[in-house]
Amino acid sequence: MSEYVTLAIDGANVRAPHGTSVLDAALDYGICIPHLCHMRGITPIGACRVCIVEVVENGRSKVTASCTLEVEEGMVVLAHSEKILRARKNIAEMLVAEAPNSRAVQDVALRCGVKEVRYPFRHESCILCGRCVRACSEIWQSKSLGFVGRGSERHVALPFNKRPEFCKRCNACIDLCPMTITPCPGPMKKGEEALCGLCEAQMSMAEETPDTCVDCRLGEGFHCVRKSPYYQ
Amino acid sequence: MSAITSIADLQKLAEKKSRENQAYSKIVTLCAGTGCCASGCLPVLASLRDELEAQGLAQKIKIRTTGCHGFCEQGPLMVIEPGNTFYRWIKVEDVPEIVCETLGQDKIIERLEYIDPASGKKVSCETDIPFYKAQDRSILGQNKVIDPCDINDYIANGGYSALVKVLTSMKPDGIIEEIKESGLRGRGGGGFPTGRKWEYCRAAEGSPKYVICNADEGDPGAYMDRSVLEGNPHAVIEGMLIGAFAIGAEHGYIYVRNEYPLAVKHSKIALVQAEELGLLGKNILGTDFSFDIKVARGGGAFVCGESSALMVSLEGKVGEPRPKDIHTTEKGFMDLPTNLNNVETWANVPSIINRGAAWFASKGTDKSKGTKIFALTGQIKNTGLIEVDMGITLREIIYDIGGGPFNGKKIKAVQTGGPSGGCLPEERFDLPVDFEALTEAGSMVGSGGMVVMDESACMVDVAKYFLNFLLDESCGKCVPCRVGLSRMLEIITDITEGNGTEEKLGLLKDTAETVSLASLCALGKTAPNPVLSTIRYFQAEYEAHIKENRCPAGVCRDLIHYSINEDNCNGCGACLKACPHDAISGEKKEVHRIDDDNCQKCGICKEACKFEAIIVS
Repeated sequence: MSEYVTLAIDGANVRAPHGTSVLDAALDYGICIPHLCHMRGITPIGACRVCIVEVVENGRSKVTASCTLEVEEGMVVLAHSEKILRARKNIAEMLVAEAPNSRAVQDVALRCGVKEVRYPFRHESCILCGRCVRACSEIWQSKSLGFVGRGSERHVALPFNKRPEFCKRCNACIDLCPMTITPCPGPMKKGEEALCGLCEAQMSMAEETPDTCVDCRLGEGFHCVRKSPYYQ
Repeated sequence: MSAITSIADLQKLAEKKSRENQAYSKIVTLCAGTGCCASGCLPVLASLRDELEAQGLAQKIKIRTTGCHGFCEQGPLMVIEPGNTFYRWIKVEDVPEIVCETLGQDKIIERLEYIDPASGKKVSCETDIPFYKAQDRSILGQNKVIDPCDINDYIANGGYSALVKVLTSMKPDGIIEEIKESGLRGRGGGGFPTGRKWEYCRAAEGSPKYVICNADEGDPGAYMDRSVLEGNPHAVIEGMLIGAFAIGAEHGYIYVRNEYPLAVKHSKIALVQAEELGLLGKNILGTDFSFDIKVARGGGAFVCGESSALMVSLEGKVGEPRPKDIHTTEKGFMDLPTNLNNVETWANVPSIINRGAAWFASKGTDKSKGTKIFALTGQIKNTGLIEVDMGITLREIIYDIGGGPFNGKKIKAVQTGGPSGGCLPEERFDLPVDFEALTEAGSMVGSGGMVVMDESACMVDVAKYFLNFLLDESCGKCVPCRVGLSRMLEIITDITEGNGTEEKLGLLKDTAETVSLASLCALGKTAPNPVLSTIRYFQAEYEAHIKENRCPAGVCRDLIHYSINEDNCNGCGACLKACPHDAISGEKKEVHRIDDDNCQKCGICKEACKFEAIIVS
């Protein structure tokens, strides 16, 4: 039996086992905090910052990613304060401008309330969420992928850019990648970018009942955690 | 050297060294810090040795090569004791005269004296120089009297007495209480109370515990930590020893940039010497306390100055910060309790123990105590390393110590706290140097960079420069820092190229706020400071760029135009020769002309013209 702690997320008293992350606790309870790089079963790294929340302590609040934040007894978390919503929307806007052709990223952006993108689109092929890198080394113990370079040169690469012998060809890197699935009606052409908007209906549902987790199906193969095989 | 096992041994050693020094009639202190080495102090040192030998004075006069004295622009520096005679800009040719006149006959060579640029008067005594006068050099001052490669010099100046005091008469809790009472706060930029950090680390479970000295200073133009480690490595080591004893740590690391060869060399020498004397290693001074220190060299990534990234880098992995919801005092290096402090913080510890918490707390403001070292640079008369009491106003630093602007131009702004600090305008120069006051004003104390800018600086361009630096040094792990900063740079580049709009300025502000709120580590969280503070205080400049397509300071190349004032031009041809792009034409003694198609707006002609005939509009 694991020990349980009680914390407040958006005013709701949430009971969660000791050692759980705030994001997982919120999702289990039914409070949807949008997220992208997080996946159950692999170590959270807090890279995408979509899941940021405010933690209130002694009258002061600090902003941190909920995927890397462990639950603590009596913790007060605000996942949908005005400050958080504004920043999260802006981050999602940056992400979708980086990779407008990804259905998964578009869905996350839509969930965060992005209706227009003010940045010029960039059409990157990777948003460096690190799902593939972590899955490869942690789930499959293979370490066939890694990050190379720093800052704007950071990218995911194979060792010496060649598929190594120890690669298990499990395809997890592709299955888990938010970029590989683009079930939008055709990838966007340069100059005609717009948000896909197919889950507009789900959005309106989310707006009406903001406390419940809508099964927003963050792209095929990129389910909301409730549908994922890692969800017990 | 035999190991020291008691206070008496240490005192004996100190007395022996003092007696040795007293035997000399004069001591020549030659600064051999990185700055003075660059301006040529080593040949001066060699010829001084030869000259003393030749004149038969080698037994009477001691040459002491020390770390940085701070007044680097005047280097190579020399101070002759007794009398504190200060010579600057010494060349090899001057050495025979110095030996003959000053050392031999006590005559002062006027040519080598410092001239105060404010009053135009010559100053011969070091302590009378306005640059030094307004400072409180309790840490940096030691640099002048200590040869960093000789542990005896440090001991003769009261070194390691704090360690003895701690080991013989204090309990760990008492030390932590003393540090807490002194009000010492992290000097690396965070300003976290040092005593509390030690307390957390002491209370944390796990063994062994580690103590780290962060000497990974990467700010452009800042060299405080470098100079302390180069000039007085034993103070840092003693501070670490005291900290380790208080925390209960067994191992220590000095993480220093590989680009600081002298700091690496001096700290390694210091470690070996301390170990020989039994001040490091097993059973220090015959007690149960054992502690060792290793030097680790950093690869020069700015982000590795962030504590969690530094520890990951120390483990041999890629230096990327991790979320600090669990503090490094609980899980740091190798997931064990680790206490990391900056070089300057460690260097402060021995004097707090020796002189007491009340002495330290008597300096500074309500919440920021003690002194702080700054690297003062930019468009002012005196530049160099300064150490001042906390609470001194920016105006005092810039005008009293810095001597004000040097070319008759008005000072416009000061950027404090390194690349991720903010730019403060003249109206805010009465702000005290205090962690809270500067943060509230949109800047920070940071690790101690201070860049003064005059009217010739374009604040939008300044913000762009720092943004460029930070984007380059971002590790790229989290989205707000990697993508956000590149978007901000995109927008600000548009503004400096004349493609800015009101909407873009709004987007720049939004992005800056998101980056500062949501980034993973302190690099990202503070990175938008230069942009936010320049928008806050110099909005008019942004508006001039956006609305009028004009750069008021004449810096942004796409918004300026070079032409020749026909009244002032006398056709001397200086600009014509200087122009590397063949953009200037004209006959001798006739008015010259600038060809707009070829002009690259480099400004070389403006510098070459002695008649102020080149106009930038």
